[in-house]
Amino acid sequence: MNMQLQGKVYPPYRLRPDRALAAKMFAGQGLAGAPAEVPPTYFIYLRGETRGVNLFVDLDIPRDRALQAGQRYEWFAPIGWDDEVEVTARIAKLTEKQSKSGKLWFADIELEYRTLPQRTLALRETTRIVKRG
Amino acid sequence: MSALKPGDVIFDEARPGASREQLALFSAGTEDPNLVHTDDAFAKRCGFHTVLQQGPMTTAHFGLLLAARFGARLKSLDVTFTAPVFVGDPLRLLAKVESVGDEIVVALGAAKPDGTQTARGIATIRP
Repeated sequence: MNMQLQGKVYPPYRLRPDRALAAKMFAGQGLAGAPAEVPPTYFIYLRGETRGVNLFVDLDIPRDRALQAGQRYEWFAPIGWDDEVEVTARIAKLTEKQSKSGKLWFADIELEYRTLPQRTLALRETTRIVKRG
Repeated sequence: MSALKPGDVIFDEARPGASREQLALFSAGTEDPNLVHTDDAFAKRCGFHTVLQQGPMTTAHFGLLLAARFGARLKSLDVTFTAPVFVGDPLRLLAKVESVGDEIVVALGAAKPDGTQTARGIATIRP
C-alpha cells in the first residue's frame, strides 16, 4: 500500500446518472423494470476508475488481494436524473494491521458529490478497501 | 405513518441467491471491473471457491428498501461486510428500530439461511 498517499485529493470529475447503468444495477438485484428515481447507492467510488481516480493502481492494491470491508452513505440533498454531479475523491486514511493470517492494509476513501451549477453537497460516500498481504 | 418505537421491524425480507448473470449485470451497472464477481478461475486464485456477490449489492438492497419506506428522510446508511456472499447464496435482510430521538436509528443485518451474518449496519432516519 502506498501509505504516503494518505490525504491525497484527486481533481474533481463530473458524472450524470445513467438510466441504463441504473437499470443494470436493478436487474442485478433481481428487480424488474427500470428505477423511477436515481437509486440511493447509484453513486459509487468504482465509477471513478475510468475517470482518473484509479485507487487500486495508485494504492497498489492488486484485484486478487482486494476486499471491500464496508460502505457509508450520507444524503444531504436529492440528485435527479438530469443533474450533473461534481465528484471529489480523497484518500482519507490508510492503516496497516497485523492479523493471524498476515498483514492487512485498510484504505478509507471519501467521495463528495455536489450537484452543479450551485455545487450543493448532495451525498458523501465513504468506502473501506482492504488489501490482503 | 404511525410513530416508530425501539424494536419495531422496518423490514424482514428474503432475497433469493443472485445468479451469475445477475452478478455480471450488477458489475456492469456499477462499472466494477473486478473479475472476482464474474470469473470462477480468478475467484479461485483469490482464495474463494466460486465467484463472490458484490458487497455493494447488499448495500443497494438496504438502500432501496429504506428509501421505499422513508424516502428523503433517509439520512445515512453505514454497512460493514462481515462474511463473503457467493453466487446463489440467498440472504435475509432485517431492519429493526434501535432508538428514537433526534433521529431514528435502525439496526441492519444480512444473513445466510444457516445464520452466518454477512453484513451489519446502521441507518439513520430524519424524524
